[in-house]
Amino acid sequence: MKNLEELLKSDEFKLLSFLITSARGCVDEPQLYGPLRLVDAAAKLIQILEKKGMATPEITKLRELIEEKEYTVMYSEEEFIAFLDELSKELAKLLKK
Amino acid sequence: MELEEIIKGRRAVRKYEEKEIPFEHAKKILEAGIWAPSGSNLQSWEFVVVRDKEMIEKIKMASPGLFGNPAMLVIGCINKERAKRGGKIGYPMAMMDVAMAFQNMMLMAYSLGIGSCPVLSFNKVILKELLEIPEEVDPILIVTFGYPPFWPKPPRRRKEVIHLEKFGRAFEE
Repeated sequence: MKNLEELLKSDEFKLLSFLITSARGCVDEPQLYGPLRLVDAAAKLIQILEKKGMATPEITKLRELIEEKEYTVMYSEEEFIAFLDELSKELAKLLKK
Repeated sequence: MELEEIIKGRRAVRKYEEKEIPFEHAKKILEAGIWAPSGSNLQSWEFVVVRDKEMIEKIKMASPGLFGNPAMLVIGCINKERAKRGGKIGYPMAMMDVAMAFQNMMLMAYSLGIGSCPVLSFNKVILKELLEIPEEVDPILIVTFGYPPFWPKPPRRRKEVIHLEKFGRAFEE
């Protein structure tokens, strides 16, 4: 088992911390920040899979799509929602395999 | 660099290069901040500068809205005791003062080729613990600083928000 110090520096713990602090933040933040935090967490999870050599090119493509378009939330609600639909379609392709 | 170029060139930067900000530049940025105006000249602000990588990592873990790997963070706080001297409007006034100070800092940073991004999405409870911020001091805004690999494109500006003489009358036809 890992010791605490090692665990606290791990990417998994960073993701855990991100999820908890996002949960608290979402209480006060704009509504669309909820989905933003979720896709951001998804990108962080994919990064963990990549570091562990568990990611496939299809999964990496999802992360790249998130990183390319997640900030549309700052400029256009329509574009952000279209991006979430696009991401869902990419995920559907994987699920159908 | 001309002032107009600095104002219009500044962007919210969410990706940074792995490069440290020289202390002299950090000093210039902070100096620009504390030269901002403040209501009743109370200067109810406090700024905590974080350059230590390990601490930046910890703050990132408590700040879902903080993107990229900035070289420096400045945490803008309100000293509630000092703000009280501003009466009932002391606190909201101090919020505006901190915002004006940060605008100065971000403009100074841009003039030095340094990008920045204001971040409101952070966990206050954790931040206060990490930085040992006393009870009477309230962190309200983090601004990240670092060197951007590119400058993002500007979003459209709403010109209709400027009214001439009366509300609803366009400033420019």
